[in-house]
Amino acid sequence: MEDQNKCCKNKWVLLVVALLIIFGGSILFYTQTAVSGTKCEAAKHLKSGEEAGDCYTCHLKTTPKIAQDWFESKHGVMLVKCFVCHGLPDGTGSIEYSANPDPNYICRRCHDPAVTMMEKKFGMRAECNDCHKYHSNSVHHDAYSTTESKKKMDQ
Amino acid sequence: MAISRRNFIKNAAAASAFLALGVAPKAMAAGPGDKVDNWVKGVCRYCGTGCGVMVGVSNGKVITVKGDPNNHNQGILCLKGALLAPVIYAKERVTKPLIRKNGELVEASWDEALDLAASKFKEAIAESDPDSVAYYGSGQALTEETYLASKIFKAGLKSNNVEGNPRLCMASAVGGYVSTFGKDEPMGSYNDLDAATCFFIIGSNTSECHPVLFRRIAARKQNDKNVKIIVCDPRRTNTSRIADLHMSMKPGSDLAILNSMAYVIVNEELDDYRFHNKYVNFMTNDKEKVDFEAYKVFLADYKPEDIEELAGVPAAQIREAAMIFAESSATTSLWCMGINQRIRGVWANNLIHNLHLITGKIGKLGSTPLSLTGQPNACGGVRDTGGLSHLLPAGRLIKKQAHRNQLEEQWGMPKDSLNPKPGLHTMALFQAMNDGKVKVVLTLCTNPAQSLPNVLKYREGLEKCFNVAIEAFSDAISLKYADVVFPPAFWVERTGVFGCTERRYALVEQAIEPPGECRPSVNILIDLALRIGVDPALIPYKNSDDIWDEWRKVSAMTPYNFEGITRERLKKESGIKWPCPTEDHPGTDIRYVRGEDPNIPLDYPDKYHFYGKPDGRAVVWMRPQKPAAEPAGGDYPFTLTTGRVIDHWHTATMTGKVPEIARSFPNAYVEVNTKDAKRMGINHGDNVKLTTRRGDMTFKARVGDVCEPGLVFVPWFDPKLLINELTIDAIDPGSKQPEFKICACQVEKV
Repeated sequence: MEDQNKCCKNKWVLLVVALLIIFGGSILFYTQTAVSGTKCEAAKHLKSGEEAGDCYTCHLKTTPKIAQDWFESKHGVMLVKCFVCHGLPDGTGSIEYSANPDPNYICRRCHDPAVTMMEKKFGMRAECNDCHKYHSNSVHHDAYSTTESKKKMDQ
Repeated sequence: MAISRRNFIKNAAAASAFLALGVAPKAMAAGPGDKVDNWVKGVCRYCGTGCGVMVGVSNGKVITVKGDPNNHNQGILCLKGALLAPVIYAKERVTKPLIRKNGELVEASWDEALDLAASKFKEAIAESDPDSVAYYGSGQALTEETYLASKIFKAGLKSNNVEGNPRLCMASAVGGYVSTFGKDEPMGSYNDLDAATCFFIIGSNTSECHPVLFRRIAARKQNDKNVKIIVCDPRRTNTSRIADLHMSMKPGSDLAILNSMAYVIVNEELDDYRFHNKYVNFMTNDKEKVDFEAYKVFLADYKPEDIEELAGVPAAQIREAAMIFAESSATTSLWCMGINQRIRGVWANNLIHNLHLITGKIGKLGSTPLSLTGQPNACGGVRDTGGLSHLLPAGRLIKKQAHRNQLEEQWGMPKDSLNPKPGLHTMALFQAMNDGKVKVVLTLCTNPAQSLPNVLKYREGLEKCFNVAIEAFSDAISLKYADVVFPPAFWVERTGVFGCTERRYALVEQAIEPPGECRPSVNILIDLALRIGVDPALIPYKNSDDIWDEWRKVSAMTPYNFEGITRERLKKESGIKWPCPTEDHPGTDIRYVRGEDPNIPLDYPDKYHFYGKPDGRAVVWMRPQKPAAEPAGGDYPFTLTTGRVIDHWHTATMTGKVPEIARSFPNAYVEVNTKDAKRMGINHGDNVKLTTRRGDMTFKARVGDVCEPGLVFVPWFDPKLLINELTIDAIDPGSKQPEFKICACQVEKV
């Protein structure tokens, strides 16, 4: 009787383990096939569809705060678009795809004097973004408060 | 190669992800792990802003590009400049000479290709005359290349059919500067952008076409919130995001608006009488000298309230713009193709200069009329070295015997041996190809089969004519018509000089070896010329350094003085602004001002001297309003305008090779105003057919408020949807520049 119980228990354990494996496996399979290795949802769109590299259009819907922050930031006003710093999510771009661009390589392309100055003062930083927010470094004070874009937004 | 912990973890994670997927990692162009062996100084390959770049080379390969901190851009680049490196390694690069056999371009040896091209030139000249051959160059060629090509054709072959694509983009600006001030090129520089308190931007989408200058203007406004920015444009582009006043004008009303602003300035007594009384002549359209009172009478027709319907701009806005312009302490005007690509582009240029001359806002730091140019070396290569059909180097004219004689002496030619008849301007040249009068053409670094207006009309001529092209990219549509193609060394694969908008000349130094059998274009031109039979004594150069030295000597003793801009200085300094007469001269920021411009003696009695004019006075021209050649109306109720977007540059032969750009912006589109779209039931992404008197084409719609109602916009970069098949080829009778910017069209949802 005890043996039978033990056998039954073992069966249940095995079944649960098997189910867990199948469940876990399917999740793994889904994530690995539905989302590419770079773990950016946009990567799968890049393989098909026109203007797939136009990150902003989708991010305006999926991550509206980030998209709007960028639009209002200096980078947004100057049209420094997503791919300039981040590359293409499927890794086919001319620069490496990175969610956190390397200051030494990416930022230096335009801000070499500033990066060099900071490096001299404090050593090379891993992230310029810690202090100078890439997306929300807005145009300071109210210089543009009376400009056309603000007027339009208020209306 | 050192690998940081962060990179190691990142790479390990990426590798395991790829392993799990069973795919190999893709080759990436360059990343943080690549170490730059050496940085080579140069200038960006794209627009006329002329940003300094540092090219990062590793193992003989360019792996990255960053801004030159010592050039005017202070290290900043736009998105195109920051992603320049992959263009060099495009798989479409032409790396061997090609000749057309049985309708196909096939590889050939250099000798075979050069001999074939040379024989066709010789044949055409022998059968008819030197006017049956032509050169069509580019504002992207090096200064040395254009100077050399111009000399080969004008002095060697005695053909003045020397033209270039700058005729399509800034000929009207040249006409404007020459007719108002007597000499070409702006008198100010980018330094004015840091001192201006008012920016008047008309007919320019600076934000997308000259992004680094736009950043400088925005930074100026950020530093001083009292700085005012006025934008006058029928499209509300990104440039207007920083504008205090956007004047949404009707296309073709620019001349009326500019005269109306002058009306307000004069009637509100905001003019600088002391300045214009001393330094300005007022002239009628018929070149008759009149006084200030006559000018006032002329302006009476342009009262803001009387032209507001024509202009589509409320009178109050015109008044406000004029008041800000005149009352600010320092005003800089900026304009580009919106003004130049008009059938009265020269007049529109004159009217902008007028505003500066009547208010005295000129020749002071922050006050200048500064025309923006589109190409990296249109000012430098083509305007200054005389690469157009009516010009000789350094502002000399073919039709003037004294000017020809000066060049004949300098070039070691017999007196009166240059051809005295100016050659054909660009549109006449392509018409002459259609008519079979020009039989052989050499094109260098340009893509006319995409960039000409009403382009289908001229493809007939391109087919008929024997086409010899020096072109780096095999997918340029013009190569469909080429009979011989020579592969040139591209951008940093050879050394030479670019001259940008602000008269600044900077050296693009060779950083890498050219691929395959590519050679510097100057060497190709010399080889070809010798085989055609040009006197070797005329072209005794080994490389572009020798040509630069000759150009310096030719320019010396003229107001376009380059003598002090030596090759050695250019290697050390990030650009020098002419006039620069001696090696210790720092270059000139402001022309026509005593103490600034080396062409004016220090003991000259007056502060200003417009030495291009016989009496030293600039001209305020009385130019009337003139509508577009083909205004909207009747069966064609919409206005079609074309232009650029920030991502792409010109015909996209370069930007199309950058994966980030090509995949985010592959196709042209049509921009439609929300109200028009609603009326016609057009939604974002719908197919919309545009029809002009020259043809029709279907685009995806982008609905928004950028265009005014009644206006549609299509960018011209896309060779698949080539809007220039629909544009009009009407030209400015003065500058011969076509009116790309305005034609009538129908808009229909399909």
